[in-house]
Amino acid sequence: MTDRDIILSLGGIAKSFGEKPALVHVNLDVARGEVHVICGENGAGKSTLMNILAGIHQPSAGSLVLNGRTVTIADPIAASRLGIGMVHQHFTLVPSMTVAENIFLGRQPRRFAILSDGQAMVERAAELIARYNFRLDPEAPVRTLSVGQRQRVEILKALAFDAELLILDEPTAVLTPPEVDELIGVVDGLRSKGRTVLFITHKLREVKAVSDRVTVIRHGRSVSTHRTADVTEADIARDMVGRDVFLVGRKSGGMRVIGDAVLALDRVTMTNHAGRRLLDRVSFEVRAGEVFGIAGVDGNGQTELAEAVAGLMPVQAGTIRFGERDMTVASVPARQAAGLGYVPEDRLDRGLSVTMSVAENVAAANYGRAGLVRNGLVSQSRLATFADDKIREFDVRGAQPATPAGWLSGGNMQKLVIARELERQPSLLLICQPTRGLDIGASEFVYKRILDAADRGAGVLLISSELSEIFALSDRIGVMYSGRLMGVLDRADADEGRVGVLMNGGAEQAA
Amino acid sequence: MTASLLDVLRAIRAPVAAILLTLAIGFLLVASITDEPVRAYRDLLFANFDSLSNFALFLNRATPLTLIALGVVFAFRAGIFNVGGEGQLYAGAITTTVIGIAGASMPAIVLFPLALLGGIAAGAVVGWVPGVLKVRLAVDEVVTTLMLNIIVLLITSWLANQVIRDTTAYGAVSWMVPETIWLPPMPLVPRATSGFLVAVVLAFASWVVLFRTRWGAEVRAAGTNLRFAEATGVPAARRVITAMVVAGGLAGLAGSLYVLGVGHRFEQNFSPAYGLVGLTCALLARTHPIGALATALFYAMMLNGAAYMQISTDVPRSLVNLLTGLLVLLMTARLVRAARHA
Repeated sequence: MTDRDIILSLGGIAKSFGEKPALVHVNLDVARGEVHVICGENGAGKSTLMNILAGIHQPSAGSLVLNGRTVTIADPIAASRLGIGMVHQHFTLVPSMTVAENIFLGRQPRRFAILSDGQAMVERAAELIARYNFRLDPEAPVRTLSVGQRQRVEILKALAFDAELLILDEPTAVLTPPEVDELIGVVDGLRSKGRTVLFITHKLREVKAVSDRVTVIRHGRSVSTHRTADVTEADIARDMVGRDVFLVGRKSGGMRVIGDAVLALDRVTMTNHAGRRLLDRVSFEVRAGEVFGIAGVDGNGQTELAEAVAGLMPVQAGTIRFGERDMTVASVPARQAAGLGYVPEDRLDRGLSVTMSVAENVAAANYGRAGLVRNGLVSQSRLATFADDKIREFDVRGAQPATPAGWLSGGNMQKLVIARELERQPSLLLICQPTRGLDIGASEFVYKRILDAADRGAGVLLISSELSEIFALSDRIGVMYSGRLMGVLDRADADEGRVGVLMNGGAEQAA
Repeated sequence: MTASLLDVLRAIRAPVAAILLTLAIGFLLVASITDEPVRAYRDLLFANFDSLSNFALFLNRATPLTLIALGVVFAFRAGIFNVGGEGQLYAGAITTTVIGIAGASMPAIVLFPLALLGGIAAGAVVGWVPGVLKVRLAVDEVVTTLMLNIIVLLITSWLANQVIRDTTAYGAVSWMVPETIWLPPMPLVPRATSGFLVAVVLAFASWVVLFRTRWGAEVRAAGTNLRFAEATGVPAARRVITAMVVAGGLAGLAGSLYVLGVGHRFEQNFSPAYGLVGLTCALLARTHPIGALATALFYAMMLNGAAYMQISTDVPRSLVNLLTGLLVLLMTARLVRAARHA
């Protein structure tokens, strides 16, 4: 590879925030016209690196060479002038404006210097769309578009600036599997048009599907760069974590015995104040010893389903049974007593009180069962011992019993929530988005705990928008769309194609 | 042991620094007003301890402040910004007075608990209302507690002026309650109310309840993250309401003890805004019960000391208001800085 082929070269980039180093030493060469994936765990420094390229942060040390010239990128405007276009994870579009207006927002073609030339704008947008084969209507308002289409508008916004180097920051986080496939097609198209794409992700499957080369970042250092074709997913995972990763699967243990239903929902319906159905006649059973996975794009009723089962939101119709007992209107403590363990989707919202101590967070709901109250007072020594045990058992790093829970990292907070809920040996474990924001190491731990619970005989209701973990853990998979359970598939019959179609509401095509 | 001592020192370092800085700035102000700044400051800080009677007045001042601050601590720990201490205080004071006057023929053994519990209950009711409104209807508690203050004050004013007014006395004061139900003075300090002992005991009891019982843990869970509390099975709404009942009850007790132990009658102007000062005490103590006892004592010292200072020198007692504002400012500045670094 000659120097002329390198569009971007980073040498020894470092960045600290206060005393905390986010990047220690990153080297990166991006060749012209390639799709280069930056891969790393949460907190490895990917976002910081991208923000340096986008001109949002300035590096503390290191050199940045673009097209053979050493540059400093003072701000995002300078970045776009240098031909670097950034597509953020969260979209920055105006829903009420059309595709064309969004693409040219702030730099509309002008007629007589001041009048905006709508006709020219639509034509230029149509031309851009045609050149990249994006299948978008330039005059459609953005609010009518799907998430995948909106993302393509974002990409066009960057391309309209003549970005040579396009940075996509975790672009698949918000997409359904069919949309991910489409995006991969879009990226292929960009490559064939000679654009260079820097693609940030921590999902191994995408690395293999999309990239020419992959650079792995760990703890703020670039640890390896490979031609994607030369490495396996396991190789990349090992670089990301720094050791061999045990990618657990449901198939591993054969000791599980599927028993009677521990949870049965019958036509459960929940409506909001406006009368819209958040849950629409949802019926299913979770049996002892099985993991029942609920897949779906966020916001299709999964949160409401979890709150209904946990007893935190009332349902308007239908019944919820724990085993034989009707628990439709039972209180949360009654459900806990009946065997419910509940790991909510957002640990900062329902999972923890961040200002209270680790000990008090892990003891909540367990005071009686764990024998922490003596003569009406909470025994401080028992509380500390209990918390210490849980910290050790669940490997909660950086925690002392008296540490405020908010001081822990996301993964360790999640372990704390799981430690609390598993303490009661629940017969029904309701666990939502269990690895959201967690790195591979912590995810591995959480998966193991979920499978252990099922092996012990608990019924597990797993709700996740992360399809890979639904597939890895579930015995049966239910798919939710718009408040309805679109279908239930046995793990053996389920593949990403069928589940993906159901996730988009297409029951007919799947059948 | 040394480690926990260090922890305590670290915890009080900032408030102590804020107090010292406030006093230093105050001294410069005093020096610019009077020729005798040292004398003025000595009176402000130490005249409370010149005589047993001064000391008694100091304790009498500290009693309602401590109790109201404790009430505010309970409310805050449950996540409620209770600005209603004044109304709860007045409700307690007027109820005790009315019961005391109406039941004058009853034996003390019946009347005393009746008057005391009546005062506590009246304060509790005034605390309960905003608690329920907050939890059930999401009505902002700052508005409801503030408005209830006005309502209660006007009702007490009407009662004191029209119904139970002592027609032989000057000003808006009620008839005296029977001497049989007066609180005995504190041992060794003849003119101090033994209500102060009650306040001290309750400060420590509040700490135990809030930090050493399951109920306290549940109140704090509800106060720091209501949705977390719900998810872990805490009847969060009930805990919040109960905490407000306790808050109102403590302020009601403050009013009741004032009538039984100090005033022996209801006086329309008996409170120099105890409600607001108690609130400040609780906040400066970072809503810690023992800390609230300490800040209440400090405020009582300043409030009374200012009067002595005004008598002996020409420094107006309103200097204390200025120092109070300064202290709040410095404490807040510290908090904001800590928050940004976190």
